[in-house]
Amino acid sequence: MRSVFLFIIYRVIMRNFLRVIVGVKYSNIAVLNKHQQFILVANHNSHIDTMALMSALSFTQLKSTHPVAAGDYFGKSPLKSFITRLFTNALLIQRTKNAEGQNPIQAMSASLVKGDSLILFPEGSRGEPQKMQQFKKGVGLLLKKHPNIAYIPVYMTGMGRILPKGERLLIPFDSYVVFGEASYSQTDDTEAIVKEIEEKIIALGVAFQKSIFE
Amino acid sequence: MNLAQFSANKEVAFIILLIIGLLVFATLLFFIWGKLKPEANLIELKLRTKSWWTMALVFILAIVINPIISYFAFGLLSFMALREITTISKNVRDVDRRIMIWCYIAIPIQFILAYNGYFNLFVIFIPVVMFIFISFMLVIKGETTEIGRSMSVIPTQLMLTVFSLSHLAFLLSLPQIAGFNAGGRGLLLFVVFITEINDVFQFTWGKLLGRHAIIPKISPNKTWEGFIGGIITTTVLGYFLRFLTPFSEVESLVVSFVIACAGFVGDVVVSAVKRDIGLKDTGNLIPGHGGILDRIDSLAITSVVFFHIVYNLYYS
Repeated sequence: MRSVFLFIIYRVIMRNFLRVIVGVKYSNIAVLNKHQQFILVANHNSHIDTMALMSALSFTQLKSTHPVAAGDYFGKSPLKSFITRLFTNALLIQRTKNAEGQNPIQAMSASLVKGDSLILFPEGSRGEPQKMQQFKKGVGLLLKKHPNIAYIPVYMTGMGRILPKGERLLIPFDSYVVFGEASYSQTDDTEAIVKEIEEKIIALGVAFQKSIFE
Repeated sequence: MNLAQFSANKEVAFIILLIIGLLVFATLLFFIWGKLKPEANLIELKLRTKSWWTMALVFILAIVINPIISYFAFGLLSFMALREITTISKNVRDVDRRIMIWCYIAIPIQFILAYNGYFNLFVIFIPVVMFIFISFMLVIKGETTEIGRSMSVIPTQLMLTVFSLSHLAFLLSLPQIAGFNAGGRGLLLFVVFITEINDVFQFTWGKLLGRHAIIPKISPNKTWEGFIGGIITTTVLGYFLRFLTPFSEVESLVVSFVIACAGFVGDVVVSAVKRDIGLKDTGNLIPGHGGILDRIDSLAITSVVFFHIVYNLYYS
Protein backbone atom coordinates (compact mmCIF):
# COMPACT_ATOMS: atom_id res chain seq x y z
CA MET A 1 0.00 0.00 0.00
CA ARG A 2 2.63 2.43 1.12
CA SER A 3 4.72 1.95 -2.02
CA VAL A 4 1.69 2.29 -4.28
CA PHE A 5 0.75 5.50 -2.49
CA LEU A 6 4.25 6.93 -2.88
CA PHE A 7 4.43 5.77 -6.48
CA ILE A 8 1.24 7.62 -7.36
CA ILE A 9 2.32 10.75 -5.49
CA TYR A 10 5.82 10.93 -6.93
CA ARG A 11 6.11 9.02 -10.17
CA VAL A 12 2.64 9.69 -11.50
CA ILE A 13 1.70 13.13 -10.18
CA MET A 14 4.78 14.93 -8.91
CA ARG A 15 7.23 13.89 -11.61
CA ASN A 16 4.95 14.96 -14.45
CA PHE A 17 4.05 18.17 -12.67
CA LEU A 18 7.73 18.98 -12.12
CA ARG A 19 8.75 18.16 -15.67
CA VAL A 20 5.89 19.70 -17.63
CA ILE A 21 4.81 22.65 -15.51
CA VAL A 22 7.66 23.54 -13.18
CA GLY A 23 10.45 22.83 -15.67
CA VAL A 24 12.70 20.36 -13.81
CA LYS A 25 15.07 18.43 -16.07
CA TYR A 26 17.12 15.38 -15.10
CA SER A 27 20.54 14.45 -16.32
CA ASN A 28 22.24 11.07 -15.90
CA ILE A 29 19.23 9.78 -13.99
CA ALA A 30 20.13 6.21 -15.05
CA VAL A 31 22.80 6.08 -12.34
CA LEU A 32 20.02 5.43 -9.80
CA ASN A 33 19.10 2.12 -11.41
CA LYS A 34 22.60 0.76 -11.04
CA HIS A 35 22.50 0.72 -7.25
CA GLN A 36 20.20 -0.83 -4.71
CA GLN A 37 21.32 1.24 -1.75
CA PHE A 38 22.87 4.69 -1.87
CA ILE A 39 23.20 8.05 -0.18
CA LEU A 40 22.20 10.94 -2.41
CA VAL A 41 24.17 14.02 -1.43
CA ALA A 42 22.90 17.27 -2.92
CA ASN A 43 23.10 21.02 -2.58
CA HIS A 44 19.97 22.67 -1.21
CA ASN A 45 18.02 25.79 -2.18
CA SER A 46 14.33 25.04 -2.06
CA HIS A 47 11.64 22.61 -0.95
CA ILE A 48 11.49 21.65 -4.62
CA ASP A 49 14.86 19.90 -4.18
CA THR A 50 13.45 17.04 -2.10
CA MET A 51 10.44 16.67 -4.39
CA ALA A 52 12.68 16.55 -7.46
CA LEU A 53 14.95 13.88 -5.97
CA MET A 54 12.08 11.75 -4.67
CA SER A 55 10.43 11.92 -8.10
CA ALA A 56 13.56 10.48 -9.67
CA LEU A 57 13.32 7.24 -7.66
CA SER A 58 11.84 3.96 -8.87
CA PHE A 59 8.90 2.07 -7.39
CA THR A 60 11.01 -0.03 -5.03
CA GLN A 61 13.44 2.74 -4.15
CA LEU A 62 10.67 5.15 -3.12
CA LYS A 63 9.62 3.06 -0.17
CA SER A 64 13.11 2.60 1.22
CA THR A 65 14.57 6.06 0.65
CA HIS A 66 14.44 8.66 3.38
CA PRO A 67 15.21 12.33 2.92
CA VAL A 68 16.94 13.48 6.07
CA ALA A 69 15.13 16.56 7.35
CA ALA A 70 15.49 18.93 10.26
CA GLY A 71 13.31 17.82 13.14
CA ASP A 72 13.31 21.31 14.63
CA TYR A 73 11.65 22.64 11.44
CA PHE A 74 9.53 19.83 10.03
CA GLY A 75 8.70 18.32 13.41
CA LYS A 76 7.71 21.59 15.02
CA SER A 77 4.12 20.56 15.48
CA PRO A 78 2.68 17.02 15.52
CA LEU A 79 0.64 17.84 12.41
CA LYS A 80 3.66 19.12 10.44
CA SER A 81 5.63 16.08 11.48
CA PHE A 82 2.81 13.73 10.46
CA ILE A 83 2.41 15.35 7.05
CA THR A 84 6.16 15.30 6.43
CA ARG A 85 6.39 11.63 7.33
CA LEU A 86 3.29 10.67 5.38
CA PHE A 87 4.33 12.31 2.14
CA THR A 88 8.10 12.01 2.16
CA ASN A 89 9.19 9.07 4.31
CA ALA A 90 11.43 11.63 5.95
CA LEU A 91 13.89 10.79 8.67
CA LEU A 92 13.61 13.68 11.11
CA ILE A 93 16.78 14.52 13.01
CA GLN A 94 17.72 17.25 15.46
CA ARG A 95 20.11 19.75 13.89
CA THR A 96 21.31 20.98 17.29
CA LYS A 97 22.59 18.57 19.90
CA ASN A 98 20.01 18.25 22.64
CA ALA A 99 20.42 17.38 26.28
CA GLU A 100 19.38 13.76 25.97
CA GLY A 101 22.36 13.27 23.71
CA GLN A 102 20.25 11.87 20.87
CA ASN A 103 22.73 11.41 18.09
CA PRO A 104 21.45 12.22 14.60
CA ILE A 105 24.21 10.13 13.02
CA GLN A 106 22.96 7.07 14.89
CA ALA A 107 19.44 7.42 13.50
CA MET A 108 20.76 7.71 9.94
CA SER A 109 23.15 4.85 10.49
CA ALA A 110 20.36 2.63 11.78
CA SER A 111 18.34 3.13 8.64
CA LEU A 112 21.37 2.36 6.46
CA VAL A 113 21.91 -0.87 8.40
CA LYS A 114 18.30 -1.78 7.64
CA GLY A 115 19.22 -1.55 3.96
CA ASP A 116 17.50 1.77 3.32
CA SER A 117 18.82 4.71 1.30
CA LEU A 118 19.15 8.33 2.36
CA ILE A 119 18.88 11.76 0.78
CA LEU A 120 21.19 14.25 2.45
CA PHE A 121 21.55 18.01 2.11
CA PRO A 122 24.81 18.69 3.94
CA GLU A 123 24.38 22.45 3.66
CA GLY A 124 21.91 22.07 6.51
CA SER A 125 19.45 24.75 5.39
CA ARG A 126 18.22 26.12 2.10
CA GLY A 127 20.12 29.38 2.48
CA GLU A 128 20.24 32.07 -0.14
CA PRO A 129 19.06 31.10 -3.61
CA GLN A 130 21.75 29.86 -6.01
CA LYS A 131 24.50 30.05 -3.39
CA MET A 132 26.22 27.06 -1.89
CA GLN A 133 27.09 27.07 1.81
CA GLN A 134 29.78 25.21 3.68
CA PHE A 135 28.93 21.52 4.07
CA LYS A 136 28.27 20.15 7.54
CA LYS A 137 30.32 17.13 8.54
CA GLY A 138 27.50 14.66 9.24
CA VAL A 139 27.77 13.07 5.82
CA GLY A 140 31.48 12.44 6.47
CA LEU A 141 30.82 10.73 9.79
CA LEU A 142 28.14 8.60 8.18
CA LEU A 143 30.27 7.47 5.24
CA LYS A 144 33.19 6.75 7.50
CA LYS A 145 30.94 4.36 9.39
CA HIS A 146 29.58 2.81 6.18
CA PRO A 147 32.38 2.75 3.62
CA ASN A 148 30.61 -0.02 1.68
CA ILE A 149 27.61 2.15 0.80
CA ALA A 150 27.80 4.17 -2.41
CA TYR A 151 27.18 7.87 -2.38
CA ILE A 152 25.92 9.78 -5.42
CA PRO A 153 26.72 13.49 -5.62
CA VAL A 154 23.89 15.58 -7.10
CA TYR A 155 24.08 19.12 -8.36
CA MET A 156 20.84 21.08 -8.55
CA THR A 157 20.35 24.52 -9.98
CA GLY A 158 17.37 26.76 -10.63
CA MET A 159 15.15 25.48 -7.81
CA GLY A 160 15.98 28.54 -5.73
CA ARG A 161 14.10 30.69 -8.20
CA ILE A 162 11.07 28.41 -8.43
CA LEU A 163 10.35 28.49 -4.72
CA PRO A 164 12.92 30.48 -2.72
CA LYS A 165 13.07 30.35 1.04
CA GLY A 166 10.21 32.33 2.53
CA GLU A 167 8.19 32.44 -0.70
CA ARG A 168 4.83 30.78 -1.14
CA LEU A 169 4.13 31.47 -4.80
CA LEU A 170 5.65 28.88 -7.10
CA ILE A 171 6.88 30.29 -10.42
CA PRO A 172 8.03 27.93 -13.19
CA PHE A 173 11.66 28.19 -14.30
CA ASP A 174 13.86 25.70 -16.11
CA SER A 175 15.91 23.91 -13.48
CA TYR A 176 18.27 20.98 -13.52
CA VAL A 177 19.09 17.92 -11.44
CA VAL A 178 22.48 16.58 -12.49
CA PHE A 179 23.44 13.19 -11.04
CA GLY A 180 27.12 12.37 -10.72
CA GLU A 181 28.64 8.90 -10.74
CA ALA A 182 28.36 6.75 -7.63
CA SER A 183 31.50 6.27 -5.56
CA TYR A 184 32.70 5.01 -2.19
CA SER A 185 34.54 6.94 0.49
CA GLN A 186 38.24 6.21 0.24
CA THR A 187 39.63 7.53 3.51
CA ASP A 188 38.91 7.39 7.21
CA ASP A 189 39.21 11.12 7.58
CA THR A 190 35.78 12.71 8.07
CA GLU A 191 36.85 16.15 6.89
CA ALA A 192 38.46 14.70 3.78
CA ILE A 193 35.30 12.81 2.87
CA VAL A 194 33.16 15.93 3.26
CA LYS A 195 35.61 17.94 1.20
CA GLU A 196 35.72 15.31 -1.52
CA ILE A 197 31.94 15.29 -1.85
CA GLU A 198 31.73 19.07 -1.80
CA GLU A 199 34.31 19.26 -4.56
CA LYS A 200 32.49 16.65 -6.63
CA ILE A 201 29.24 18.60 -6.43
CA ILE A 202 30.99 21.85 -7.34
CA ALA A 203 32.69 20.09 -10.26
CA LEU A 204 29.32 18.80 -11.49
CA GLY A 205 28.07 22.38 -11.35
CA VAL A 206 31.03 23.77 -13.25
CA ALA A 207 30.76 21.10 -15.95
CA PHE A 208 27.05 21.75 -16.27
CA GLN A 209 27.41 25.52 -16.61
CA LYS A 210 30.15 24.97 -19.17
CA SER A 211 27.87 22.78 -21.27
CA ILE A 212 25.37 25.64 -21.55
CA PHE A 213 27.39 28.84 -21.59
CA GLU A 214 30.34 29.83 -23.70
CA MET B 1 -13.31 15.99 -38.08
CA ASN B 2 -13.19 12.24 -38.56
CA LEU B 3 -11.12 9.99 -40.76
CA ALA B 4 -13.58 10.07 -43.65
CA GLN B 5 -13.44 13.85 -43.82
CA PHE B 6 -9.71 13.63 -43.42
CA SER B 7 -9.31 11.60 -46.56
CA ALA B 8 -11.83 13.87 -48.29
CA ASN B 9 -9.59 16.88 -47.72
CA LYS B 10 -7.09 15.83 -50.38
CA GLU B 11 -4.79 18.86 -50.10
CA VAL B 12 -4.08 18.35 -46.42
CA ALA B 13 -3.86 14.56 -46.70
CA PHE B 14 -1.34 14.84 -49.53
CA ILE B 15 0.97 17.22 -47.70
CA ILE B 16 0.81 15.13 -44.51
CA LEU B 17 1.93 12.06 -46.43
CA LEU B 18 4.68 14.13 -48.00
CA ILE B 19 5.83 15.39 -44.60
CA ILE B 20 5.87 11.89 -43.10
CA GLY B 21 7.87 10.71 -46.10
CA LEU B 22 10.36 13.53 -45.65
CA LEU B 23 10.64 12.84 -41.92
CA VAL B 24 11.28 9.13 -42.46
CA PHE B 25 13.91 10.08 -45.02
CA ALA B 26 15.56 12.63 -42.69
CA THR B 27 15.53 10.23 -39.72
CA LEU B 28 17.13 7.45 -41.77
CA LEU B 29 19.63 9.85 -43.34
CA PHE B 30 20.88 11.21 -40.01
CA PHE B 31 20.92 7.71 -38.49
CA ILE B 32 23.06 6.27 -41.30
CA TRP B 33 25.20 9.42 -41.50
CA GLY B 34 25.82 9.18 -37.75
CA LYS B 35 26.77 5.49 -38.05
CA LEU B 36 29.15 6.06 -40.99
CA LYS B 37 30.73 9.20 -39.55
CA PRO B 38 30.47 9.06 -35.76
CA GLU B 39 32.62 12.20 -35.45
CA ALA B 40 30.07 14.36 -37.31
CA ASN B 41 28.10 16.55 -34.91
CA LEU B 42 24.50 15.74 -35.76
CA ILE B 43 22.90 16.55 -32.39
CA GLU B 44 21.26 19.75 -33.67
CA LEU B 45 19.91 18.00 -36.79
CA LYS B 46 18.62 15.01 -34.86
CA LEU B 47 16.91 17.21 -32.28
CA ARG B 48 15.27 19.17 -35.06
CA THR B 49 14.00 16.00 -36.73
CA LYS B 50 12.65 14.83 -33.39
CA SER B 51 10.71 18.03 -32.81
CA TRP B 52 9.32 17.86 -36.36
CA TRP B 53 8.05 14.37 -35.64
CA THR B 54 6.31 15.69 -32.54
CA MET B 55 4.78 18.58 -34.48
CA ALA B 56 3.59 16.27 -37.26
CA LEU B 57 2.08 13.77 -34.84
CA VAL B 58 0.26 16.45 -32.84
CA PHE B 59 -1.07 17.91 -36.09
CA ILE B 60 -2.37 14.55 -37.28
CA LEU B 61 -3.91 13.78 -33.88
CA ALA B 62 -5.65 17.15 -33.92
CA ILE B 63 -7.12 16.47 -37.34
CA VAL B 64 -8.22 12.94 -36.61
CA ILE B 65 -9.48 13.40 -33.04
CA ASN B 66 -10.30 17.00 -32.20
CA PRO B 67 -8.90 20.34 -33.42
CA ILE B 68 -8.80 21.62 -29.84
CA ILE B 69 -5.67 19.49 -29.34
CA SER B 70 -3.79 21.96 -31.53
CA TYR B 71 -4.71 24.88 -29.29
CA PHE B 72 -3.49 23.00 -26.24
CA ALA B 73 -0.31 21.96 -28.02
CA PHE B 74 0.53 25.51 -29.12
CA GLY B 75 -0.38 26.78 -25.65
CA LEU B 76 1.98 24.29 -24.03
CA LEU B 77 4.71 25.08 -26.54
CA SER B 78 4.49 28.81 -25.87
CA PHE B 79 4.43 28.12 -22.13
CA MET B 80 7.65 26.11 -22.34
CA ALA B 81 9.24 28.70 -24.61
CA LEU B 82 8.33 31.50 -22.21
CA ARG B 83 9.70 29.50 -19.29
CA GLU B 84 12.94 28.97 -21.16
CA ILE B 85 13.38 32.60 -22.20
CA THR B 86 12.65 33.90 -18.68
CA THR B 87 15.08 31.37 -17.22
CA ILE B 88 18.00 32.32 -19.43
CA SER B 89 17.26 36.04 -19.41
CA LYS B 90 19.62 37.94 -17.18
CA ASN B 91 17.94 41.25 -17.86
CA VAL B 92 15.15 40.78 -15.35
CA ARG B 93 15.63 41.59 -11.68
CA ASP B 94 15.01 39.16 -8.81
CA VAL B 95 12.11 41.30 -7.58
CA ASP B 96 10.30 40.68 -10.88
CA ARG B 97 9.94 36.99 -10.08
CA ARG B 98 6.33 37.29 -8.95
CA ILE B 99 5.36 39.40 -11.99
CA MET B 100 5.95 36.30 -14.11
CA ILE B 101 2.75 34.71 -12.82
CA TRP B 102 0.76 37.29 -14.83
CA CYS B 103 2.63 36.33 -17.97
CA TYR B 104 1.67 32.69 -17.41
CA ILE B 105 -1.96 33.63 -16.75
CA ALA B 106 -1.94 35.51 -20.05
CA ILE B 107 -1.27 32.27 -21.99
CA PRO B 108 -4.68 30.58 -21.53
CA ILE B 109 -6.44 33.91 -22.07
CA GLN B 110 -4.63 34.49 -25.37
CA PHE B 111 -5.42 30.98 -26.60
CA ILE B 112 -9.07 31.22 -25.57
CA LEU B 113 -9.28 34.41 -27.62
CA ALA B 114 -7.69 32.55 -30.52
CA TYR B 115 -10.05 29.60 -30.15
CA ASN B 116 -13.12 31.80 -30.20
CA GLY B 117 -11.77 33.90 -33.03
CA TYR B 118 -12.10 37.25 -31.25
CA PHE B 119 -9.72 38.91 -33.69
CA ASN B 120 -9.73 42.46 -32.30
CA LEU B 121 -9.10 41.41 -28.70
CA PHE B 122 -6.64 38.77 -29.82
CA VAL B 123 -4.32 41.21 -31.58
CA ILE B 124 -4.27 43.77 -28.77
CA PHE B 125 -4.32 41.55 -25.70
CA ILE B 126 -0.56 41.03 -25.33
CA PRO B 127 0.93 44.06 -27.11
CA VAL B 128 -1.46 46.54 -25.47
CA VAL B 129 -3.32 45.10 -22.46
CA MET B 130 -0.47 43.00 -21.05
CA PHE B 131 2.08 45.69 -21.87
CA ILE B 132 0.21 48.26 -19.79
CA PHE B 133 -0.72 45.76 -17.09
CA ILE B 134 2.84 44.49 -16.56
CA SER B 135 4.22 48.03 -16.44
CA PHE B 136 1.61 48.92 -13.83
CA MET B 137 2.30 45.81 -11.74
CA LEU B 138 6.01 46.65 -11.81
CA VAL B 139 5.19 50.16 -10.58
CA ILE B 140 3.01 48.77 -7.77
CA LYS B 141 5.92 46.61 -6.70
CA GLY B 142 7.70 49.89 -6.01
CA GLU B 143 11.27 48.94 -6.93
CA THR B 144 12.26 51.65 -9.43
CA THR B 145 15.94 50.85 -9.97
CA GLU B 146 16.24 49.63 -13.56
CA ILE B 147 12.46 49.33 -13.81
CA GLY B 148 12.54 50.50 -17.43
CA ARG B 149 14.53 47.45 -18.43
CA SER B 150 12.01 45.09 -16.87
CA MET B 151 9.16 47.04 -18.45
CA SER B 152 10.62 46.40 -21.89
CA VAL B 153 12.11 42.93 -21.44
CA ILE B 154 9.10 41.13 -19.94
CA PRO B 155 6.56 42.20 -22.62
CA THR B 156 9.12 41.40 -25.32
CA GLN B 157 9.50 37.89 -23.93
CA LEU B 158 5.72 37.47 -24.05
CA MET B 159 5.66 38.74 -27.64
CA LEU B 160 8.41 36.41 -28.86
CA THR B 161 6.84 33.30 -27.37
CA VAL B 162 3.11 33.53 -26.55
CA PHE B 163 1.91 36.24 -28.93
CA SER B 164 3.74 34.83 -31.93
CA LEU B 165 2.77 31.16 -31.51
CA SER B 166 -0.86 31.99 -30.75
CA HIS B 167 -1.14 33.22 -34.35
CA LEU B 168 -0.58 29.66 -35.52
CA ALA B 169 -3.55 28.62 -33.39
CA PHE B 170 -5.68 31.48 -34.68
CA LEU B 171 -5.18 30.26 -38.26
CA LEU B 172 -7.36 27.28 -37.27
CA SER B 173 -10.15 29.61 -36.13
CA LEU B 174 -10.40 31.45 -39.44
CA PRO B 175 -13.78 31.07 -41.16
CA GLN B 176 -14.26 28.94 -44.28
CA ILE B 177 -13.88 30.68 -47.62
CA ALA B 178 -15.91 29.44 -50.57
CA GLY B 179 -13.72 27.57 -53.06
CA PHE B 180 -10.81 27.13 -50.66
CA ASN B 181 -10.87 23.61 -49.25
CA ALA B 182 -7.72 23.32 -47.18
CA GLY B 183 -8.86 26.07 -44.79
CA GLY B 184 -7.01 27.00 -41.60
CA ARG B 185 -5.33 23.60 -41.44
CA GLY B 186 -3.86 24.15 -44.89
CA LEU B 187 -2.61 27.61 -43.94
CA LEU B 188 -1.05 26.26 -40.74
CA LEU B 189 0.68 23.44 -42.62
CA PHE B 190 1.88 25.89 -45.26
CA VAL B 191 3.52 28.38 -42.89
CA VAL B 192 5.10 25.74 -40.62
CA PHE B 193 6.36 23.65 -43.53
CA ILE B 194 7.71 26.65 -45.46
CA THR B 195 9.41 28.04 -42.36
CA GLU B 196 11.08 24.75 -41.44
CA ILE B 197 12.11 23.96 -44.99
CA ASN B 198 13.54 27.48 -45.24
CA ASP B 199 15.65 26.81 -42.13
CA VAL B 200 16.85 23.56 -43.64
CA PHE B 201 17.79 25.09 -47.00
CA GLN B 202 19.46 28.18 -45.53
CA PHE B 203 21.53 25.74 -43.46
CA THR B 204 22.22 23.37 -46.36
CA TRP B 205 23.17 26.05 -48.92
CA GLY B 206 25.32 27.69 -46.26
CA LYS B 207 27.18 24.41 -45.66
CA LEU B 208 27.59 23.72 -49.39
CA LEU B 209 28.50 27.15 -50.73
CA GLY B 210 28.86 29.45 -47.74
CA ARG B 211 31.78 31.88 -48.06
CA HIS B 212 30.71 35.34 -46.98
CA ALA B 213 29.42 35.80 -43.45
CA ILE B 214 26.30 37.92 -43.27
CA ILE B 215 26.37 38.99 -39.59
CA PRO B 216 29.49 37.40 -38.12
CA LYS B 217 29.04 38.99 -34.70
CA ILE B 218 25.67 37.35 -34.06
CA SER B 219 25.72 34.11 -35.97
CA PRO B 220 29.02 33.03 -37.53
CA ASN B 221 27.36 30.23 -39.50
CA LYS B 222 25.00 32.52 -41.43
CA THR B 223 26.28 33.31 -44.89
CA TRP B 224 25.02 35.32 -47.87
CA GLU B 225 25.11 32.17 -49.99
CA GLY B 226 22.95 30.25 -47.50
CA PHE B 227 20.53 33.14 -47.12
CA ILE B 228 20.03 33.69 -50.86
CA GLY B 229 19.97 29.98 -51.71
CA GLY B 230 17.42 29.41 -48.96
CA ILE B 231 15.18 32.23 -50.15
CA ILE B 232 15.19 31.00 -53.76
CA THR B 233 14.47 27.38 -52.79
CA THR B 234 11.73 28.37 -50.35
CA THR B 235 10.06 30.68 -52.83
CA VAL B 236 9.99 27.97 -55.49
CA LEU B 237 8.61 25.38 -53.03
CA GLY B 238 5.99 27.84 -51.81
CA TYR B 239 4.83 28.27 -55.39
CA PHE B 240 4.22 24.52 -55.72
CA LEU B 241 2.50 24.27 -52.32
CA ARG B 242 0.06 27.10 -53.03
CA PHE B 243 -2.80 24.56 -53.18
CA LEU B 244 -2.76 24.73 -49.37
CA THR B 245 -3.59 28.42 -49.50
CA PRO B 246 -6.07 30.68 -51.28
CA PHE B 247 -3.15 32.49 -52.98
CA SER B 248 -2.80 33.23 -56.65
CA GLU B 249 0.49 32.29 -58.37
CA VAL B 250 2.06 35.71 -57.86
CA GLU B 251 0.80 35.96 -54.28
CA SER B 252 2.28 32.57 -53.39
CA LEU B 253 5.70 33.63 -54.71
CA VAL B 254 5.65 36.93 -52.82
CA VAL B 255 4.38 35.39 -49.57
CA SER B 256 6.95 32.56 -49.64
CA PHE B 257 9.68 35.12 -50.28
CA VAL B 258 8.50 37.19 -47.31
CA ILE B 259 8.32 34.09 -45.06
CA ALA B 260 11.86 33.14 -46.04
CA CYS B 261 13.12 36.61 -45.08
CA ALA B 262 11.05 36.67 -41.88
CA GLY B 263 12.42 33.24 -40.92
CA PHE B 264 15.93 34.60 -41.22
CA VAL B 265 14.96 37.59 -39.07
CA GLY B 266 13.51 35.34 -36.33
CA ASP B 267 16.58 33.14 -36.41
CA VAL B 268 19.05 35.99 -35.91
CA VAL B 269 16.89 37.83 -33.36
CA VAL B 270 16.81 34.78 -31.08
CA SER B 271 20.53 34.20 -31.75
CA ALA B 272 21.22 37.76 -30.64
CA VAL B 273 19.19 37.31 -27.44
CA LYS B 274 21.25 34.23 -26.64
CA ARG B 275 24.55 35.83 -27.63
CA ASP B 276 23.77 38.66 -25.22
CA ILE B 277 23.80 36.28 -22.25
CA GLY B 278 26.63 34.09 -23.47
CA LEU B 279 24.51 31.06 -24.23
CA LYS B 280 25.86 28.61 -26.74
CA ASP B 281 24.46 28.95 -30.23
CA THR B 282 22.99 25.47 -30.27
CA GLY B 283 21.15 26.13 -27.03
CA ASN B 284 21.18 23.58 -24.32
CA LEU B 285 23.54 20.80 -25.22
CA ILE B 286 22.18 18.11 -22.93
CA PRO B 287 20.36 15.92 -25.44
CA GLY B 288 16.62 16.13 -25.29
CA HIS B 289 16.55 18.97 -22.79
CA GLY B 290 15.35 22.49 -23.43
CA GLY B 291 16.38 24.27 -26.56
CA ILE B 292 12.76 25.09 -27.35
CA LEU B 293 13.72 28.59 -28.43
CA ASP B 294 16.11 27.08 -30.95
CA ARG B 295 13.24 25.12 -32.42
CA ILE B 296 10.80 27.99 -32.70
CA ASP B 297 13.12 30.92 -33.43
CA SER B 298 12.11 31.48 -37.04
CA LEU B 299 8.47 30.47 -36.44
CA ALA B 300 8.20 33.22 -33.83
CA ILE B 301 8.41 35.83 -36.60
CA THR B 302 7.03 33.99 -39.64
CA SER B 303 3.79 33.04 -37.85
CA VAL B 304 2.85 36.67 -37.15
CA VAL B 305 3.95 37.98 -40.56
CA PHE B 306 2.16 35.22 -42.48
CA PHE B 307 -1.00 35.51 -40.40
CA HIS B 308 -1.39 39.21 -41.08
CA ILE B 309 -0.71 38.87 -44.78
CA VAL B 310 -3.36 36.16 -45.13
CA TYR B 311 -5.80 37.97 -42.89
CA ASN B 312 -5.55 41.24 -44.79
CA LEU B 313 -5.72 39.59 -48.19
CA TYR B 314 -8.59 37.16 -47.62
CA TYR B 315 -10.33 37.49 -44.26
CA SER B 316 -10.79 41.17 -43.48
